[in-house]
Amino acid sequence: MIEAFCDWLSATPLSLALQAADWFVPSVQTVHILAIAILLISVNVISLKLVGLIRGVQPLATTMARSTPLIWTALLVLLVTGMLLTITEPARELLNWAFRLKMLMVLILAGCMALIQWRLSANPDYWTASAGRKWLARVLGVLVLALGACIVTAGRWIAYV
Amino acid sequence: MAVERALAWLQDLPLPTQIRESDWMFPTIETVHVFALVLVIGSIVTVDLRLLGFANRDRPFSQLAREMLPWTWTAFLVAAIAGALMFTSKALTYFGNIPFRIKMLCLLLAGMNMLYFHWVGSRNLASWDASKPPPRARFAGAASLLLWTIIVAAGRWIGFTTN
Repeated sequence: MIEAFCDWLSATPLSLALQAADWFVPSVQTVHILAIAILLISVNVISLKLVGLIRGVQPLATTMARSTPLIWTALLVLLVTGMLLTITEPARELLNWAFRLKMLMVLILAGCMALIQWRLSANPDYWTASAGRKWLARVLGVLVLALGACIVTAGRWIAYV
Repeated sequence: MAVERALAWLQDLPLPTQIRESDWMFPTIETVHVFALVLVIGSIVTVDLRLLGFANRDRPFSQLAREMLPWTWTAFLVAAIAGALMFTSKALTYFGNIPFRIKMLCLLLAGMNMLYFHWVGSRNLASWDASKPPPRARFAGAASLLLWTIIVAAGRWIGFTTN
């Protein structure tokens, strides 16, 4: 069924037009990589602060508030560029297990960031308010750091598996 | 030519040969390279966007730069080592590749732009640290953003023109 969808999508006029332009895929990948760069640096700084490995001069809630527009703008750019790449080469992405794993990890990462941010916006000290929350903050921080590295890895291996 | 002979010798050394002939070594090194370079570029672009007034506008520039700089240099070291290993595996091919040469040239220019910012762009930092940077600092930010975009694009084009 997914195969049939890929066949249909790759035969649409839009997909055919994008496939015909040799410059299109590397150009969109360039924008995709720049957006990953902005997303990952913001996410990693927040994660390391959650884990307690870096303190920085501003509190976590302030870092989060300042990074929020960058994080969600980058995610939107990633979604749009990712969809364009998928429309151009549906079978390369949708039938690829590294791609599927990547999408699953992206959803978990976005969910974690939304949770961290949602709690911080209600209470700037939420993640340090109790021993239990500090522990949860560390788990979330390590999870998000690991997810970032695994997403980049899975993304690159789409080309090889 | 002497350069070609040196590169041919380099890529026939045991480690480069092993990287070239292995199924998993090149993609693994490439993954490390990509992971490191997104952190290099993310940290640099965050500073550039502050200089240009697109993000972190209300945050003192020096504070943001201090937070980002360790990321930039640590990740750059990792990206450069991984990049050098990839280069040695097909030194002759990369040496003759136009996108590769463009990438190296832009890396050099980006380094010179950093020196420009250090000596000229960041003059009187105390007077604009918490507000809008002067044109010479914004110029360095714009040049950096442009150069790193070309570096990523050229890097991507290497992959499409050497296989």
